[in-house]
Formats: sequence, C-alpha cells, structure tokens
Amino acid sequence: MKGRTRNILRVSIIITIALLIGITVWFNLTSGTKAVEVGDEAVDFRLTTLDGQEVQLSELTEDKGVILNFWGTWCKPCREEMPDMNAIYSEGHEDYEIVAVNVAENAQQIQQFISGLDADLEFTIALDQSRSVTEAYNIGPLPTTIAVNREGVVVKKQEYQLTPEDISLFISEATE
Amino acid sequence: MQLNQIKCGSCGHVNPPGTQLCQSCGKMIDSDYDKNKIKDLMRYDGSAVRSKVRSKSVFDKVWIFFTSVKVGVSIILIIAIAAAIGTIFPQEYFIPIGVDAGEYYQENYGSLGYLYYSLGFHNLYSSWWFLILNGMLAFSIIAASIDRGVPLFKSLHKQRVKKHDSFFRRQRLYLAEDGAADTGALIGAFRKKRYKVKQDGGNYLLEKGRLSRYGPYINHTGLIILLFGSMLRFFPGMYVDELVHINEGETEELPTTNGQYYVKNEAFTLDTYDENDNEVFEQALDSNTQVISNFQTDITFYENNSADIVGAPSDLEKVEDYSIRVNHPYRFGNYELYQSSYDNSQLKSMTFRLEDADGNTVGENFTVSLRNPEENFEVSDDVSVNMRAYSPDFLEIAENGTLVSATPVPRNPAFVFEVADGAESELSLLQIMNSTDITEGNDYSIRFVSAEEHMASVLTLKKDMTIPFIATGFIIFLIGLFTGSYINHRRIWIRSEDGLMLAAHTNKNYFGMKREINEVLRSNGLGKVEDKLDDEDKDIDKE
Repeated sequence: MKGRTRNILRVSIIITIALLIGITVWFNLTSGTKAVEVGDEAVDFRLTTLDGQEVQLSELTEDKGVILNFWGTWCKPCREEMPDMNAIYSEGHEDYEIVAVNVAENAQQIQQFISGLDADLEFTIALDQSRSVTEAYNIGPLPTTIAVNREGVVVKKQEYQLTPEDISLFISEATE
Repeated sequence: MQLNQIKCGSCGHVNPPGTQLCQSCGKMIDSDYDKNKIKDLMRYDGSAVRSKVRSKSVFDKVWIFFTSVKVGVSIILIIAIAAAIGTIFPQEYFIPIGVDAGEYYQENYGSLGYLYYSLGFHNLYSSWWFLILNGMLAFSIIAASIDRGVPLFKSLHKQRVKKHDSFFRRQRLYLAEDGAADTGALIGAFRKKRYKVKQDGGNYLLEKGRLSRYGPYINHTGLIILLFGSMLRFFPGMYVDELVHINEGETEELPTTNGQYYVKNEAFTLDTYDENDNEVFEQALDSNTQVISNFQTDITFYENNSADIVGAPSDLEKVEDYSIRVNHPYRFGNYELYQSSYDNSQLKSMTFRLEDADGNTVGENFTVSLRNPEENFEVSDDVSVNMRAYSPDFLEIAENGTLVSATPVPRNPAFVFEVADGAESELSLLQIMNSTDITEGNDYSIRFVSAEEHMASVLTLKKDMTIPFIATGFIIFLIGLFTGSYINHRRIWIRSEDGLMLAAHTNKNYFGMKREINEVLRSNGLGKVEDKLDDEDKDIDKE
C-alpha cells in the first residue's frame, strides 16, 4: 500500500519532469525557424500590386495554382530569372498565376528595373513594402520561389535562381 | 555513544561533535555520513531515508541516482562551470546583428571560437544541453527533498515523548537532579518561553521552532518555482524581447503582435546637459563628451482593424499618444515598449545644386528623398532636372545601361540626372562627391551639397509573463533561507519519576539554548545543565 503510493509518486514525477524538459527543448529548437516548408499551408495574404490593384492569395488559389517569387531589383539572380519567367508565362497561363512579391522596394526602383528589360513583365508584381508577407513566410535569401496548389498547400520551394526547367517544374507542381 | 570532537582530514580544523561537513573547508568528514544521519543525529529517528530502502525498477534506479547529494552537487558544479565558460567569448546577443554567428566566431576567435559556437556556448542559456542540465537539477532537488523531507516530517510528527535513560545521557545538554522538584512550575515556566508541551505520564517533551527544520524544503520549493518560471520563458507567447526600429515620421508594425498593433514615431528628442549651467555634473561634462539628459520618443499608438490578413493595407485606429522616455515605457496589454537607443546612420535624403559651365549656381537647390525619390525637379523657370536612374548602393552600370545596386540600403547612392533647359538635355552620372558626364561636352554640372540622415528611434518591445513565477520563487526561497537560518528547533525532554532528568537538543545555537534553560532552572531553584562540550573544552584546557 505504502510502496504503491511511493511508486506512483516516483514514476509520475520522473515522467512529468522528462516531459517538461522535452517540451522546453522542443520549443527552443523550433523557435525562430518557422520557415515555410513543403507540405505547410500557405499563409494567406493581400498585397497591393505595382498597377495599384489588390491581389489576395486565397482568391487566386480558388481555381489556379500559384507561384510566389520573392525578389528584389538589387538581387542579381532575381534579375536574371525574371525574363525567363516572363517568357514562359506569356506562352499561356490558364491554370496558374505568377505573383512576384517585391521585398520592400519603392515603385521607382521597380519601374526603373522593368524599363531596362526587353519585354514588359506580364505577371503580377506585388509590393511587400512592410515585409509582413516576407516575414510571415520567413523568407531567407532572395530569390525564393514557392509553389502553392489549389488547396492552398505549399508543394515546392527553391531558394536559388530558377532555370527555365525549374520554372516548368514549379508550374507542373502547382497545377497538379 | 561518545561525543568526540572531529578533526577534519583535509584542512585540520577541529569541528564540534556530530559535524558531517567541515565548518572550515566544507568537505565531508566521514564516509558514513548517511548512516550517521539515521543513527546518530536523530534527524530521522524512527524512519529511514527512502532511497536506502529498496531498489527495483528503472524508475527506482533513476530516482535513487538523483536523490544522491553527490549527484546534485555535481550537477550544480557542471552548471557553474558551463556558465563560466559561457563568459569566455561574448554571447550571441552581443555580436553585431545580422552577422552569421558561425562565421563570426570562426573569424574572431579561430577554431576555438567555432567549437564554442558548435557546442552552443554562444547562446548558453538556451542551448539544449543547458536546459537539460537545469531540468536535471530541478529533478534532483525534488527527488532529494521528497526522499529526505517525508521521513523528516514523519519522524517529527510522531515523536515519542518517553525516552530511554541512555538517550538522556547521550544528549549534549543534560541534567540529573535527585529529589523531588516542582515539575508543574518548571513546565509552566517553559510554556512561557513558548514551548509546546506533550506529556506521557511523568515524561514531557517540550518543543519549539520545528519550522526551522523545514527551511531547506521551503527553500527548495522556491527554487523549483524559479526554475519553472525560467522554463516558461521558452514557451511561445510567454516571453518577448524585440528591437523595433522606427524612423521619425514613420509608422511600424510591432513584431509578435500579428499585425495588430502599430506605432508611429512622431518625434525623437535627444537632450544633452548644458555644459555651462550645471555644476553638479561638472566633472563628467568636462570630459568633452556630450552627456545625454533625456531620450524621448513621442509615439502614437494604433490598433489595426484589418490584422486578420497578412500584408493587407492596415486600417489603423488611434489609441493614444505617449512620450516614451528611459525607464518610462509605454504599456499595453502584457507588453512594454522601452526607449532603447537611436540610430542616425541611415541616409534619408541628399541635396544637390546645379552649376553652369562658368561655375555659377543655377536656380534653387533640390533634395532627393532616398526612400521614395521624386523624379522631376524644377530648379528654375526654364531649367529642370529629371532623375533618370537611382541606385541606393551603386555597384556598376549594367549592359542595358541601368544602374545596378548591390543592396537595397542607401550606402553609396548613385544617380543619373538629366538636365533640360528647353533647348537641349544632357545626362550625368553622380555618385557621392563624384560626377561623370555621360553626354559629351556638358554645359551643366550637378554638385552634391549635403545629406540628411534618418533619425530613427530604437525601442525594445518586452513581454515577460514569467515574472510572477520568478518573483514568487525568490520570495519563497528567501523565506526558506530565513526559516532555516534564524529559527532554532529546540527540544527538551524531562522525566520526573525518581528525581528529575532533563536533556535538550537543538539544531543550532546550543549556547542560546543553554542560557534559556539555565534561566528557567535557576528561577525554579535547580542547578545548571551540563554541557558535554564545555567539559571537554575544560579537559583540553587542562591538558
């Protein structure tokens, strides 16, 4: 009888402390690294576009796959992949959309960049001036490209320059 | 049993009888420490230390391992050594913001620095192994307290009033008187000294200050609450410590509030002491540095009504205005917003003037805002300047003629200006203090006049829900310390059958107890108690 109470006490204290240590270590290791990964639900957002329109992710994913491309005019690989994305997008985009989210730059910088290109960019350029979307997705290096399918789930992510083949892969993943 | 003085094997200090840890050096005096505890010192008379009873399952083994004082002390030592090592190189929050920590330690402190980083010493208090060590310490405290506290409670709770003759003789304070004594008066006198009395026939047990014995356990309870509070810091939403950087005139979202709260920096003020009109700080002011008397940020605090969707244009509703000064934070909800520092290193705007071929200034100066530049400047009635290109951090001119920027931060701004005076237009590239003609044979040149920096206030956003736990833990810890240190647990056994026999025991301050007892005895016409230690002292003196 006495021995049983003692055993219950010992076992429950050991388990409680082990659990608390485990939870604390887990919280500690996961904090700050909440980067969006493949399989996560894409955070919905609404941003103003360069044309003064509004774009909301959940509205786009209702009937299309979406490719989010986080970029800046000062980033060389971003500048280099833009014309490729534009060329593929111009061939037809019935089942997907590209939203190029510019990270915290002003319209003058973006216009200046576009004016230096051979062709106008057809896809949507969204302005994340306060970086709130960039932070919600915990974007590290630029460019970062994320494919979101019609269910609003992240299906592909790449943190370096896209080749035309990569772009096609992103499109097929997003529209699957 | 003999009451001998004990000479410490390590330092040679002579300790009073019954000592287990040397008064001078703190080393364990005999290896039979635990056994003595049970047999000799009556700490647990009638009850055994739990961990000594049985060991069966894995849980029992783990439990018994952690109840060991040696293990507890080892954990404390490891924590102390780790904390000491953590001070050799700076912690991560002291290295420049935005730098890769691994590279920083490697570059500045070599491979030793990299090892330091790899083992998590750069962020000691939140490294996983340090957390586990603290958890083990908590477990050791809990296990050891239960293991010793429960038997202690039992033995004090069910004390026998009647004791054997040899028990009386064995106590340090002892008195035996022949002939009858007025026991009632004697007990009454002790009662006045706030002793609690238990009686069993002609046997009496007088006791006070039992709480003293629980001091260490109260103390441990405080420590556990403290450790629990510091554990909660790692739980999401319990603890926030973030820097918020707001340029004068701008509005920023407060981090960790999910876009719900915004703050506008209306004005940042930095007052310095006037060197001439203050005598009190003369010495400090003489050192030629400006001494700041006040940092102040006047803010407007907003709540966002459209915080549900990330990135959506904010719909701000003004809550109130406030002036944040050092030690006068703005409080909202569980958050506090403190004045931390300021930053005027970021370029805000640049001012230029236009010069003609003869070096005369044309029209008025014009100012280009670097964050959101305008493109056209009417310098005079017939001359205008157009900004054709701007690069915040000039790197090179691309093949297609645009300016390439290395970063989005205005560190090295470069501009291409077009000067048009109706008849013709010409282009020039301008970097800070350096201009190049793009078109040939330019008539005009643009000169840099001045630059203005952003005045940004740096605020610290704090939230700490663990403070109540930490504070409670500390208070209980101190109460335990006080109880254990300043209250004496005094017990007196009296037997009045054939004559009077009296023995006394205390956990500390025998001198005080002896005085108290002798006072009562004298007023009852009885002799003094015999202190065995005094006798031995006399013996030593004689020798």
